[in-house]
Amino acid sequence: MEQSELVVQMEGITKIYPNGIAANREVDFSVKSGEIHALIGENGAGKSTLMKILFGLEKPTEGSILVKGEAVSFASPIDAIKKGIGMVHQHFMLVPSLTVAENIVLGMAPRKSGLLIDYKEAVELTLANAERFNLHVEPTARVADITAGMKQKVEILKALVRGAQVLILDEPTAVLTTQETAKLFEELKNLKDQGFTIIFISHKLNEIKELTDRITIMRAGKSVGVYDTDSINEQEISRLMVGRDVILQVEKEEARPQEVVLQVQDVHYVNEWSKRALDGVTFSVRSGEIVGIAGVEGNGQRELVDILFGLRLPEQGSVTVAGENLVGRPQAKIRELGVSYVPEDRMTFGIAHTASIEENVISDRFRQKRFNRGPLFRMQELHKESDQLILDYSVLCKARSQEVGMLSGGNIQKVVVAREFSSSPILIIADQPTRGIDVGATELIRKKLVDLSREGAAVLLVSADLNEVMELSDSLIVLYEGKIAGYFDDGQWDDVMMGEYMLGLKHQSQEEIERASYA
Amino acid sequence: MHDRRMRFFNLARGAAAISIALLVAMIFILISSKTPWTAMRYLLIGPLLSFHEGAVIFNAQYLYQVLAATIPIIFTGLAVTVMFSANQFNLAGEGCVLAGGFVGGVLGVYLNINSGWHWVVSVLIATAVCGVIMLIPALLKVKLGASEMVTSLMLNFIILYVVLHYLNFHFADRTKGATMTKEFKPTAIIPSLVAGNSKLTVGFIVAIAATILVALFMYRTRWGYAIRMIGINESFSLYSGMNVGWTIVLAQVIGGMLSGMGGSIEVLGRYQTYLWRDLPGYGWVGITIAILAKNNPIYVPLAAFFIAYLNKGCLLMSTYCDVPVEMIDIIQAAIFLFFAAEQFLSGYRQKLVVKTTQEDLMKLDVNQLRGGGKSHA
Amino acid sequence: MLEQLFQAIFKADFLFAVMRITAPILFATLAAVVAEKAGVVNIGLEGTMMITALFGFLFAYWTQSWVIGVLGAALVGALLGLMMGFFSLKLKTDIILAGIAVNMLGGGGTIFLLNMFTGLRGNTGNLVTPNILIPTIKIPLIDKIPILGEILSGHAVLTYLAFIFVFLMWVFLYKTPVGLNIRAVGENPDAASSVGVSVLKVKYIAIGLSGALAGFGGAFMSMYYSQGWNSGFVAGRGFIALAARAMGRGEPVGGMLSSLLFGLAQALRTKVSGLQGVSSYLVSLIPYATTLLGLVLYSISLRRKERKHLIRPVKP
Repeated sequence: MEQSELVVQMEGITKIYPNGIAANREVDFSVKSGEIHALIGENGAGKSTLMKILFGLEKPTEGSILVKGEAVSFASPIDAIKKGIGMVHQHFMLVPSLTVAENIVLGMAPRKSGLLIDYKEAVELTLANAERFNLHVEPTARVADITAGMKQKVEILKALVRGAQVLILDEPTAVLTTQETAKLFEELKNLKDQGFTIIFISHKLNEIKELTDRITIMRAGKSVGVYDTDSINEQEISRLMVGRDVILQVEKEEARPQEVVLQVQDVHYVNEWSKRALDGVTFSVRSGEIVGIAGVEGNGQRELVDILFGLRLPEQGSVTVAGENLVGRPQAKIRELGVSYVPEDRMTFGIAHTASIEENVISDRFRQKRFNRGPLFRMQELHKESDQLILDYSVLCKARSQEVGMLSGGNIQKVVVAREFSSSPILIIADQPTRGIDVGATELIRKKLVDLSREGAAVLLVSADLNEVMELSDSLIVLYEGKIAGYFDDGQWDDVMMGEYMLGLKHQSQEEIERASYA
Repeated sequence: MHDRRMRFFNLARGAAAISIALLVAMIFILISSKTPWTAMRYLLIGPLLSFHEGAVIFNAQYLYQVLAATIPIIFTGLAVTVMFSANQFNLAGEGCVLAGGFVGGVLGVYLNINSGWHWVVSVLIATAVCGVIMLIPALLKVKLGASEMVTSLMLNFIILYVVLHYLNFHFADRTKGATMTKEFKPTAIIPSLVAGNSKLTVGFIVAIAATILVALFMYRTRWGYAIRMIGINESFSLYSGMNVGWTIVLAQVIGGMLSGMGGSIEVLGRYQTYLWRDLPGYGWVGITIAILAKNNPIYVPLAAFFIAYLNKGCLLMSTYCDVPVEMIDIIQAAIFLFFAAEQFLSGYRQKLVVKTTQEDLMKLDVNQLRGGGKSHA
Repeated sequence: MLEQLFQAIFKADFLFAVMRITAPILFATLAAVVAEKAGVVNIGLEGTMMITALFGFLFAYWTQSWVIGVLGAALVGALLGLMMGFFSLKLKTDIILAGIAVNMLGGGGTIFLLNMFTGLRGNTGNLVTPNILIPTIKIPLIDKIPILGEILSGHAVLTYLAFIFVFLMWVFLYKTPVGLNIRAVGENPDAASSVGVSVLKVKYIAIGLSGALAGFGGAFMSMYYSQGWNSGFVAGRGFIALAARAMGRGEPVGGMLSSLLFGLAQALRTKVSGLQGVSSYLVSLIPYATTLLGLVLYSISLRRKERKHLIRPVKP
């Protein structure tokens, strides 16, 4: 590969965040001029971080970037744009109430008579560029009214109009229908013919196979190889993407599942981007077992968990806990039914960050009789409770009165878990319970989950960490595009097999999937 | 340990904010007064010490007057503390003070209870009425999502004109020159605590008692806890199973009740008839106090004393010098702006955080060496 | 009594009064509109109007020129806005608290300043001379038209300016690059900064303009409406403007319509209080009660539109 052929060269990129997480570890990444290059990996693999660095949204802790052979350092996206790099984000950076043309010329609006925007010029500019790049858009349509596919085109056009020659597309098809995706691919191939370079971030193997020239696979912050798309098959990609270096061992008694605790029946849901997030999901979680939900993020897990905790209402279908309906009930009632929930977004839902550890850990039980004498709290009882929880869950802190937001991520999660696990729940929903926390906290939380399930709780574990979900679960459900792609209860699974279901390569028969429900 | 240092930092920052505010005041005094230094002397130490024929005497009457002046603003300060703790920017405390004063006053004239209970009952009824009034912005916020700020602002004016209407057309004493009600029955007037005309009444005791009750409420009861958690993080509170809507209503109703109590105690304690013809302004001062007290009820009397002291200083300044009494508003606004500025002196806070984090890390290492993995308290 | 009322309303001079009364509210509403478009809540409008009313009057008095007075008021308003911006954007004081602080300044601070500059207490009494008041104009052809002429001609310069500003605001927001940036920043600051628009700069511009517009409103009050300055004469217009903005969906024309509504309510109050047996106090209620009612109805209509199946709470 000649140097002059490389339009982007990233060498030895390392990115360590202030909280200690190493998102990128000495990654080398280069792109040939005029190719469509796929960057793939699971969530947390580091691909988004790498591209954020390339687009100037983040600064690397170490490493260098060369654009067209020239060493560059980006302080902000403006610098990257100046060097010809454009990025289309997963969540559109568009202003909904403005028109397409207005969004495209934002910050560089053509003027007439000095003070006013020349709208005609803006529209003409839009149309001319649309024509040139073969990305047909309606300049006068309001962005709020157009389809996701259209928005995609507007974003691409926005980048091209500012002189981008390298386009980074972050999971562009996540919000598109099949037809829109096909259209997008046409447009991208077209751009490639015109000499543009495209970096395509995705985890959808079929699309990557169809569209791209070369693939860089990332895993756990490192690059695990660059391949010509034609010379590698989907199984191999999946193995590289999802393969485990370290097998996590968890000691577990055999599960002896009893009665059904959670029954999700034929749930359908369309989310706020008008995408069908859940398309007829039916499964059970029984007392004494851990059911894991595996899947790449964005296949319906978010919406499912929200529905289970009453934060969204399904269009169709039912959810019951111990036979009682849960849909439409307030959180207080859901907790009364015996449901506990470890939320993915711990800062928004899990804690009140300026309140003390004690105040956080009792937030689901402060009304109980044992903590109140008449109108007043029984402070001693509260103190005893929080001290005990801090001890049981090894929360590293100075005092129960310490502000919980000051703790490390792992300890914050321990506080959340201390609360959620200690209310004698019959159903525990754990959503990404060990994301972004230290090893010690991770071990503790996993052990507690297993212990609680063996004591009779029903546990639903949703995790994008395949390792975790494979090791902890007694049975596994793979979600793909809002449907259950596979249900496994024999413990005979591995990363290769899981990868295939998670990435849409395999899909069980209706019969096999129905086994997920024990109602 | 590092909490103590943070607390010291916050205190220092508060002191800096107040100093800047006073500095601003002094600049204005220098510009506008012919006798700036005398004026400043009155402002800063006037309320405590009198200069009389060369001698310096501690003026007890002034002290009582300052304490008396804290009474209404302790109540409004407490009211704002409760409402702001729930993150509700309800500004109708102003109107509730007026309404409370009016209801209390009218009951003071016409209610027939021939004992010390007269004023107590009047105050209690006024309090309850104001709690009900506060239901309006509270329910509108919870049921309709209407901004409690705008609705409460409108409510203030509506209350003002309703009160003025009733005052003028139904309750005015036609024998008096200015508009006011008939005189309160003697049993309605709140008894004084000290001799002299300082207006330091039993109301002060009630104010202190209210402070203690509100502090207990906010930090030792389940309702106060819910109010505070909802103010910090509504999503968290919802998810934890708290009834967010009802609690928001409760916070505003309590705010109304406290404001109303303050208004009625002030009217029945300071005056012989009800004579307020305009919004008295205690509600706005209450906001300053809540900010100075950092939304902690226990500090409200302290903050109230501080403001009342400055107010007295401004009064003295305007009586004996040529500086208008409204200087107090300028001082308050300046305190407001700087005290509530999070980023004020933030550079120092950053350094402090970094330093303490490093120390913590070092301590953790030492602990691990000793073989302990967990520690608390 | 109702008959008297109807007779009074459908007279040209009543509609003339409505326009005159609406003008200061309109300035304040436009001030609220432009700030909110950039995502900034300006609740210091009341105080701003008080302060600019004073300074406008003083500038006019010292220079004996009403033009200087008006421009001075606008300038002071802009400065107040920028100060609020500084405290909230740079020092991170909650913008609502910053607004309350400005209102406090507008309360007693103005009395103080008046005294400091002129020695007067609370109102400008006999400082008023014809030069310093905003003149009225007769529009040449229109004032010959019966009825319409009576309604439209003879207003103060600033009255016309208020309504012209509605149009100008619309042009500014929808036809200029700065306006485009303001709308983008208010709706999606990330989108704006991703193309190089400085979110901070845009917010400063918006809040400065907001203050300046409130300044015109203040100047109108002291140099025409009340022919002098006295404390408390703004009487909540700055707050009514917030409601008017909300009811007008945050748009200039919508804001104008809701301002007219309040102007109507206020004009009605004057008419009604002249009638027999009506309490002037209850009548004074009308504008504020109308505002409250309007806000309630508006909120109800918003609630209906909200998506029913997404009940996830908004992030704090």
